[in-house]
Amino acid sequence: MEVSETIAHHILDHDFGVMLGTVHLPITAHTLTMFGISLVLLFVCILMSRTGKSLFMRLMHTLGEEYVAFMRDGIVVPGMGVEGKQFLSYFCTLFLFILFSNLAGLIPQMKTITSNIAVTGALALCSGALIVYCGIKFHGGWGFVKTFVPGGTPWWLVPLIFPLEVISLIIRVCVLAIRLFANMLSGHMVLLSLLLIIFIIGQMSKIAGVGSAVPAMGLEIFMTLLELLVAFLQAYVFTLLTSIYAGLVIHSH
Amino acid sequence: MDKLLNPDFGVMALTVVNFLLLVWLLHKFAWKSLIGALEKREQQIENDKAAAAKARQEAQQIKVELDAQLQHITAEAAKKMQEAVALGNAQKEQLLEQTQQQAQRLLEQAKAQIEAEKNKALADVRDQVVSTALLAAAKITGQQMNQASAEKTVDEVLREVKNAGSARA
Repeated sequence: MEVSETIAHHILDHDFGVMLGTVHLPITAHTLTMFGISLVLLFVCILMSRTGKSLFMRLMHTLGEEYVAFMRDGIVVPGMGVEGKQFLSYFCTLFLFILFSNLAGLIPQMKTITSNIAVTGALALCSGALIVYCGIKFHGGWGFVKTFVPGGTPWWLVPLIFPLEVISLIIRVCVLAIRLFANMLSGHMVLLSLLLIIFIIGQMSKIAGVGSAVPAMGLEIFMTLLELLVAFLQAYVFTLLTSIYAGLVIHSH
Repeated sequence: MDKLLNPDFGVMALTVVNFLLLVWLLHKFAWKSLIGALEKREQQIENDKAAAAKARQEAQQIKVELDAQLQHITAEAAKKMQEAVALGNAQKEQLLEQTQQQAQRLLEQAKAQIEAEKNKALADVRDQVVSTALLAAAKITGQQMNQASAEKTVDEVLREVKNAGSARA
C-alpha cells in the first residue's frame, strides 16, 4: 500500500453500505461519529442546564452560563448586534458541535468528521440559510434582494454589482466550509505523515527506523497540541464569521 | 484522494438534518433555560446596581442634610457659648460687686465695733484712773476729794492727753 493510500484510508469516510429496501442509507464512520458527538453534546448541555445542590452540578451550571455569556457577548452581539440574541441557541450549538467534531479525531477509533467536505459543507449550508433567513426577516424578501446593491450605485452598474454581490455571499459560505475542512484535514494528514515517516525509514533500515521514532514522536506530540489549538480556533472562526456575515446582512445599507 | 473533494450528498443531508435537530433539541432542553437563568441573574444584578445607586443617592442627600444640620447646630452652639460667657461675666461682676459691698459693710461694722470697744476701754481706763487718782490725792493731801470734782479733773487730764495725741498724729 502506498503512503498516499494509507493516509487516504485513515482520513476518508467508510460507507457501511446499509440499505433500506432499495434506498442506500448514508451510514458511514463519519455519520456514526456525528451521532455519537450529538448524543454526548445533548447529555453535556442538558446536564449544564440543570440546577442541583451538588458541587458538580453547580459547577456545570456555572460553566454553562459562562459559555452562553461568552457566545452572546463575544461572538453574537459584536457580530450581529442585539438582533442576534434570538439566534443565540444556533451559535451555541454550532460552536460546540464543531469543537467536539474537531476534537473527536484525537480519540482513538473516532474520526474527525470536520475533515469531511460533506460535513463542513452541510454546516456552511446551515449558516448560509441562517444568513439568508436573517436578510429576509429584517429586510423582507425584496428588501433583502435590494441589499445586494449598495446605496448610491449608478443604475448602469447594477447589472454588474448585483451578480457580484450574490456570488460574494455564496463564496463566503463556501469559504466557511473549505476553511474548516482544509484546516482539519491538513492537520490530520501531517499527524499521519509524521507517523508514517517511522515506517518508511524502518523499511529501509530497522535501526534508522527506531532512531527516527524519537524525533517523529516529538513532532507528533507537538502537532497534536497544535491540533488542539486549531480545533478551538477553527470552531471559533467558523462561528464568528457566520455571525459577522449574518450581521452584514442585517445591518446592510 | 479524489474522494476527499467529492462530497457525499447523503452524508451532507444527514448532517444537515442531524445538526438542525440538535439545534432544536438543545434550544428546547438546554440553551433556553441557561439563557433564561443568565438573563435573570443579569436582571438581578441590574436591579441590585440600581438599588445601590438609589441608596447611594439617598445617603448623599442625607449627608447633605446632616451637614446642614451640623452647621446649624455648630452656629447655635457658638451663639449659646457666647451668651453663656457673657452671662458668666455679668454674674462674675455682680458677685464681685456684692462681695466688695459685703466686705465694706463688714469692715465698717468691724470699725464701729472697734470704736465701741475702744470707747468702752477708755471709759474703763478713765474710771480706773479716777479711782487711782482719788486714792493718790487723798493720801497726798490727807483729805477726801469728792467724786464729782475728781471726775472733772480726770476728764480735763484725759482731754489734754487726747489733744496732745491728736496734735502729735
